[in-house]
Amino acid sequence: MRNTIFFLGKGGVGKTTLSSAFALALARKGKNVLVASLDPAHNLGDALETTLNGKPKQVEPNLDALEVNLAEWVDKYLEESRQQLKANYSYNMTLNLDSFFSILKYSPGTEEYAVLWAIEDIHCRLAPSYDFVVFDTPPTALSLRFLSLPAISGLWVAELTKLRERILKSRQTIVRLNPESPVAASCVDKDDDKVYGKLGSIRTRLNALDTLFSKHSFLSVIVNPDDLSVFEALRIKEELSRLGIPLSAVCVNKQGVSDAEWKQNDELSHLPQFTFDFCRDGIRSRKDLETIGVEHLLHYFLNKQGKA
Amino acid sequence: MPAHFGHLLKKAIKTFSQVNREKATGMLDFELKELENIFALLILGGFVGLPSPPSPIAVELLPYMEKELTVLLARTDLSQDPLGVLMGMLEID
Repeated sequence: MRNTIFFLGKGGVGKTTLSSAFALALARKGKNVLVASLDPAHNLGDALETTLNGKPKQVEPNLDALEVNLAEWVDKYLEESRQQLKANYSYNMTLNLDSFFSILKYSPGTEEYAVLWAIEDIHCRLAPSYDFVVFDTPPTALSLRFLSLPAISGLWVAELTKLRERILKSRQTIVRLNPESPVAASCVDKDDDKVYGKLGSIRTRLNALDTLFSKHSFLSVIVNPDDLSVFEALRIKEELSRLGIPLSAVCVNKQGVSDAEWKQNDELSHLPQFTFDFCRDGIRSRKDLETIGVEHLLHYFLNKQGKA
Repeated sequence: MPAHFGHLLKKAIKTFSQVNREKATGMLDFELKELENIFALLILGGFVGLPSPPSPIAVELLPYMEKELTVLLARTDLSQDPLGVLMGMLEID
């Protein structure tokens, strides 16, 4: 069952609009829905006419919403590691930690990981209380990076695990031959070795996220009737298929925004297509979200859920 | 007197056995330290420009790697004369 929904696409194509309209329609069908914004430049609250933060807030019956605060997640995570490090290391090894951790905050990859931790938290802690979770994602670059992280990090973790196993095997051999060796004071068994244990727990978490993205998520790419957003959608499709994550639907938003002739790209046309007319007056209130007309997408999605 | 001699002999055999054990594991010990050094370098390589896992993975593992960090620092001290270390380990004068 694919009960997690992601709307992806180029910046400005209407990800927030469609994800909030879809979540709203789903909630009005009687489903218990959480819509979460992962975009660092949030405007989900604006679309739903409310102020949101990192905790779920009821927008209307059956519909809760939140905006993930990535900076808060990075700080929380680094603080936990810093405390763990202080507890485990001797005093003189932790003297310059503060400057080290303040640099890490801006290290490449940290923001993408913060998105992953936020998704993991929502999936494990909050999702069991809802029928569906809808994610409004950041623009393509950041979205593709966090979607690919479980696979890329998984490769690193697998290699590091192999090396760690070799280290533990060497330690066991040395201790067996020479029980008085200083090596005997360090961990020799997989069960006792905290680094091996931590690698295992990272692998389990990454595998769970990989399964969530590839088996339990309905990913829809949004395009506008213009070539730029379509080219980006093709890149998204290509990258996702490389990661083994299937794309479930294509939403053509802002249909009729221009009179220029436009035809869907052949590589996207085999996927289920859903069109949404351009709102000439703009989306200014929650009432406007109802007029977008997501029923055909909703019907297809619920039908698929029923079959699964 | 014979008891004292027996005790001495036992101690000598034990020392002889321990020396042999140390000799037998010397090379393995060297290899282990190299592996621990490589492991620490792989985790922290990003900070010195080596290919490394995403830094958040390094941060998660770092709290449990004090020993590897000590080995890494000790290896850095020895890196000025790696051939000397190798020759010393192989007992080549």
